[in-house]
Amino acid sequence: MEQPKLNNYGASFKRSPIFYIITRIVVLFFIIIIIFPLLYTLSLSVRSPETVYSARYFLIPYEFSFENYIDAFVNAEQKLKVSFPRMFLNSAVVTSLSVTLIITMSIFAAFAFSHLRFPMKESLYNVMIASVAMPAQVLLIPLFYILIYLGIINTYQAVILAYAGFLIPIGILILRMFYEQIPYELTEAGTVDGASDFQLLIKVLLPLAKPAIATCVILLFLDTWNEFIYAMIFMQDATIHTVPVGLAKIGTSRYQVNIGTYSASVMITIIPVMVIFAVFQRWFIAGMTMGALKH
Amino acid sequence: MIYKTFQFKTLLYLLPAVFIFLTFNVIPGLTSLILSFFDFTGFETNLFKKFVGFDNFIKIYEDKYFWIALKNTFLFVFGAVFIQTGIALILSIFIFFGNFKFSVLVRSIIFFPCVLAPVSVGLVWKKILEQDGVLNSILGLDYSWLSSISLVMWLIIMVNTWQWIGYNLVIYYAGLQSMNIELLEASDIDGANWSQKIFSIVIPLLWPTTILNMILNLIGGFRAFDIVYVLTRGGPAHYSEVLASYLYYYSFAAGGPNKMGVGASVAFVIFACILTIAVARIIISKRLEQN
Repeated sequence: MEQPKLNNYGASFKRSPIFYIITRIVVLFFIIIIIFPLLYTLSLSVRSPETVYSARYFLIPYEFSFENYIDAFVNAEQKLKVSFPRMFLNSAVVTSLSVTLIITMSIFAAFAFSHLRFPMKESLYNVMIASVAMPAQVLLIPLFYILIYLGIINTYQAVILAYAGFLIPIGILILRMFYEQIPYELTEAGTVDGASDFQLLIKVLLPLAKPAIATCVILLFLDTWNEFIYAMIFMQDATIHTVPVGLAKIGTSRYQVNIGTYSASVMITIIPVMVIFAVFQRWFIAGMTMGALKH
Repeated sequence: MIYKTFQFKTLLYLLPAVFIFLTFNVIPGLTSLILSFFDFTGFETNLFKKFVGFDNFIKIYEDKYFWIALKNTFLFVFGAVFIQTGIALILSIFIFFGNFKFSVLVRSIIFFPCVLAPVSVGLVWKKILEQDGVLNSILGLDYSWLSSISLVMWLIIMVNTWQWIGYNLVIYYAGLQSMNIELLEASDIDGANWSQKIFSIVIPLLWPTTILNMILNLIGGFRAFDIVYVLTRGGPAHYSEVLASYLYYYSFAAGGPNKMGVGASVAFVIFACILTIAVARIIISKRLEQN
């Protein structure tokens, strides 16, 4: 994501003052539109309960206070029966295990698709491509019963397996594409040297596939961490709610929490993601751009 | 290919992934289609007891809220495919050619909402759009935005666009960075101005990227559930229901009808929509390849 050097093709854009002004106005407008809702929620969350309905220029609180954050933690623990740390733990367990499971299985399966022969290969692959376009809700009702029959509804495994089934095609698609881009001479040289297929995968392909695996990790992390409907329906026990499910309960509950607590709860879910994004933003943007090209 | 023929050990690489994929994706998908011909609730153990033929489909056919949900889904998809892609196209061209000093930062800011949970995004906007929310304070109005039957879908589309525009933006940006610049240089010599360049060179050159963005938004549009759920729960009075939330309402919602067979028939409709689009896409791309 390097800043492109403006070559001579940019000359007529550079010369035109109208273009210069329009771009500044439009881009500034969009930046304000993007930032304002987040800043506003942040602002609500750090106002003292007495001044929560008023602020200078809608954003700057008259009185700063972190009381709302304490209230948010207490409110979650008392009304929801699941604390924020527990929600984050639940999300972390579900996300890390699903991502690990999906990537491990995809590393091997994608190798079979790219370097080995088996019957019905392309038809199976086409089914996988088609399934990527299917909305998760189509599987909701039968999955619910399959998980009941397996006796794992309301456990982490329920959601992890549902995510695995739903997201494995993405892992396989990306890794297969990547394996096939690796020059054939490399694997051929390995075979001549007497390496087994397993050694080829582990020693030749995997070290080269690190960027593709990073892309998968990012895409799968976002898909599982932010996922809502499976987590809500397959893990209805309050103690194993993930972050989005717990937050949705706080935000849409009939027993309205006050606006400060509400905003602090939302910010508690946003701030960690913001920090992770600030550190890894290049990888996030590159990963999601690469992931889009799989379609 | 390492081996000339099929080897038994290939299955060891393949089976874990294929087993999970079949058990938790393909089989539920097909079961869903079959279940749409049965009547059952969330409390039954034998789902295939009561075969009702097309009753579930007749039920949704006669339900006016199904048609509202269908219309809303298409409206939502329309917004994602045309409005969101269109804005992202303009914005990416402006940022790319605008010679911004902080272009990376600008893109990061606009991209940031994409990494947030749709639930968090929905809740952020919910408070802004409420009657005592900040939007009314800024505009000096006293309007209940999310209770407006005519506006509510457009607001949901707007919030969704707010979240995902950065995704289309960075994809366009990648397209712009790999664009063939010779045509632009040639047009400089011919004395084309900036608007001519954008409309007759840049936008046509970006056409493949536009198609990609439209497909991504189309698929994403049919998935929409979280934002609707937290913003309106399909309200007011089911007027902002989309197919996915309608399915949820019929099968799982507390206080809903708890008719899972009907939910399965809604899933059938979603399945059919996606399948039609996928087949159309394959036919179109084959046609394009031939030409």
